[in-house]
Amino acid sequence: MMSLLLDYQYFPITKPGKGAGGKTGSWRVIKPVIDLSKCIGCKACFMFCPESTIVPKGGKVTVDYEYCKGCGVCSNVCPVKAISMVSET
Amino acid sequence: MIRKIISGNEAVATAVKLARVGLTGIYPITPQTSIIEKLAEMKAQGEIQTEIVRVESEHSAMAATYGAALAGIRAFTATASQGLLYMHEMVWWVAGSRVPVVMVVGTRAVGAPWNIWNEHTDFTSERDSGWIMAFASNPQEALDLTIQAFRISEDERVFLPVMVGMDGFILSHTKTNVLIPDQEQIDDYLPPRRQPYVIDPEDPVEIGNMFPPEGYMKLRESIHLALKNSEDIIRQHGREYNKKVSPMIDYSTLNSSYRLEDADYAVVLMGAWAGDAMEAIDVLREKGIKIGMLRVRYLRPWSEKEIKENLEGKKGVLVVDRSTSFGRGGPLYIEVKSTIQDTEVKDIVTGLGGVTVGKNDMIYLFSKFVEGIKEDVTWYYPKEVGKLDIRTPRDIE
Repeated sequence: MMSLLLDYQYFPITKPGKGAGGKTGSWRVIKPVIDLSKCIGCKACFMFCPESTIVPKGGKVTVDYEYCKGCGVCSNVCPVKAISMVSET
Repeated sequence: MIRKIISGNEAVATAVKLARVGLTGIYPITPQTSIIEKLAEMKAQGEIQTEIVRVESEHSAMAATYGAALAGIRAFTATASQGLLYMHEMVWWVAGSRVPVVMVVGTRAVGAPWNIWNEHTDFTSERDSGWIMAFASNPQEALDLTIQAFRISEDERVFLPVMVGMDGFILSHTKTNVLIPDQEQIDDYLPPRRQPYVIDPEDPVEIGNMFPPEGYMKLRESIHLALKNSEDIIRQHGREYNKKVSPMIDYSTLNSSYRLEDADYAVVLMGAWAGDAMEAIDVLREKGIKIGMLRVRYLRPWSEKEIKENLEGKKGVLVVDRSTSFGRGGPLYIEVKSTIQDTEVKDIVTGLGGVTVGKNDMIYLFSKFVEGIKEDVTWYYPKEVGKLDIRTPRDIE
């Protein structure tokens, strides 16, 4: 990336990041809740989450609920059944 | 430097070779085909290292060139007429992305009906796309402007693609004496490529994504400002070219003038027929008519300053257009008329679809103009056009 940019120069590029378009909204009915005492930090849920909402943190994992659609894939792949799907309604 | 008798297309191919272009996206269309034929020949003989990508359409030719340019390679393509129109969408993508690219357009009439001869309508119809647009008047200029185009395009104050126009057949296929610079001179003049951003897996960027209205408009304004600012930058690089490469043609101005300083009347035109106009002006000068010519070398950026300096205060200005904006007159005429206020401006549309307009026609047109013609737009036919044998549905019945 060029550092020499003049004040009138803009370029039509952006850095990849979270988009407002992918946010879940109010329609999710179940959400994954992680029991951290059971979690062994294998990151299988991180690998399988289709929305990349599992965030590895300190050897274990947390969920980004802003983008989580509540599909339950993480709960299904967890080898130690640490993730339970909890109703939100 | 060596002198060689080559055609305009060969001159452009030589310029591409001298600029050390990394990739050429090619699709043949008359009359630019021999540019890529020449490049392929050079490649076969090992003179150049350019990657030649053969694609299935002009749209893909520009897309391939665009992609290579995004990856940081100096990229080139050439087209004409229907091909340029087919490219139209990608032409806007390249300018909107602010990626340096150079294209040569061998100008040619646009169908329907089918016509392969020369006019400028394909070129002028791209004038709102955000490209810098130069127009050559001889093969020497085609070579020089193509090399300068890379320099201008890759300047960090510009970062816009550049299009170099060249009259189809009249320049592209006619051989003249061309001064070819040495590789060392061009290496000295043209530094390695610079561009605003590259596609790089280590530092990913998103290109071609959705922008909200305000952001989009801000980007549009930045293209406008970069294009306006490029005026001085073109002069600067032109002067540098004169100093480092060849002083033969003066590139310190955006437009070229001929016997204009003391002229009462001025003629404005663009392209190869400037030569005929110059001869006509010499003849009229001998008859005591003070007339001069301004040849537009850069359609974009349009130098209001130079046009005003050169044309304001004249008794009359005649614009001779080889293209047309239907129902409105020639594009050059519209530009000139909107730039100068106190001077009378008249328009002639002629030479469309390869209609030959020579020195004698120019003498006729210019002297008619000095006598005073009334109509705003005149379509001039050098030869009398007989009753056209055109079939209409009624004839078929």
